[in-house]
Amino acid sequence: MDNTPLIVVEVVSAIVCFVLVWFMVKPYRTTGESRYLGLPLGFAFLGVSYVLMGAAYFESFHFVQETKWLQLFTQTYAFTFLAATYFFSKKPTKHSRLWLDLTYAALILLAIVSYLAVVEPLIFGLPSYKRANEYLLLFNIICLAYISIHTLRSHASKPDPKTIWTPLSYILLSFGQYSLFIWSVDSSFAAYVGAQFLRLSGLLILLFVTYQAFHAPHETPQKEGIHNEKASA
Amino acid sequence: MKRPKKKVSIMRKLQRRDRLKIYGDLLFILNSESKKEKVVLTHVQLKINVPFDRLKTYIDELRELGLILENPSLKLTEKGKLYLREYEMVLDFVKRMGLTY
Repeated sequence: MDNTPLIVVEVVSAIVCFVLVWFMVKPYRTTGESRYLGLPLGFAFLGVSYVLMGAAYFESFHFVQETKWLQLFTQTYAFTFLAATYFFSKKPTKHSRLWLDLTYAALILLAIVSYLAVVEPLIFGLPSYKRANEYLLLFNIICLAYISIHTLRSHASKPDPKTIWTPLSYILLSFGQYSLFIWSVDSSFAAYVGAQFLRLSGLLILLFVTYQAFHAPHETPQKEGIHNEKASA
Repeated sequence: MKRPKKKVSIMRKLQRRDRLKIYGDLLFILNSESKKEKVVLTHVQLKINVPFDRLKTYIDELRELGLILENPSLKLTEKGKLYLREYEMVLDFVKRMGLTY
């Protein structure tokens, strides 16, 4: 079967992810706060995972199995980074910031160890790819479901037409992972195509949301913050 | 016995603001206040809701950073206006992404 359409989808997804990273790193550049690093790091990992998947589709590529393993880990780290970012955004205290930094450090360390496991499979003894893929897909679905619920609750607490798109995009991404899980279980090609479609839709919605935040003219969102919150710093 | 408990629960509902948010809020207020004839610090203090001594510290810090100047009344510099614009974009982005900082 010709893999060109699949490679194109992976390349387009990777490009969208890297454009998202370019936009999302702006809050960190403006404020220098490490809490704004989670989203760009997560989408950078996600973009790299799509590049790896695209490379694995090339028939002339020699390290297909290793690349697929790397893609599997990278994608899981991406969703874990995103889930950790949303989890620690709930209560911004001194301790939560410390825990967030520790979580990021632990995840990067874990990523290095898992990449070493792929390079040296004999030392680390990896399980079957199919089984690992299914477990990690389930883990990704849990992470994305958590993010979807978090963003939906955030929208419900202060309903605004601008904030509904983000939960929708994460829901589409989680359904994309679910479709990949179905494909892994029963090899349904429709589920695979559906997964690519859902993923691209989710990423494009996120791109739209981010573009709107940084380039569309908007009213000041600060006014409400000043009157509702008290300083205790 | 019930009264102190209620106070504690109210205090818990109030979110802590970090220094960055206070700077952003202060710049926003100073920007709107500077359109008036003279910036009255007591009005700024009432709006930003911080003790007066701390407000003066924040103003000194913003002045040292080159974000505001006193000429003759307090107003934002170009750098301050640029920072405020970018800070508002960051807030809008955080809100749209569903992050609850």
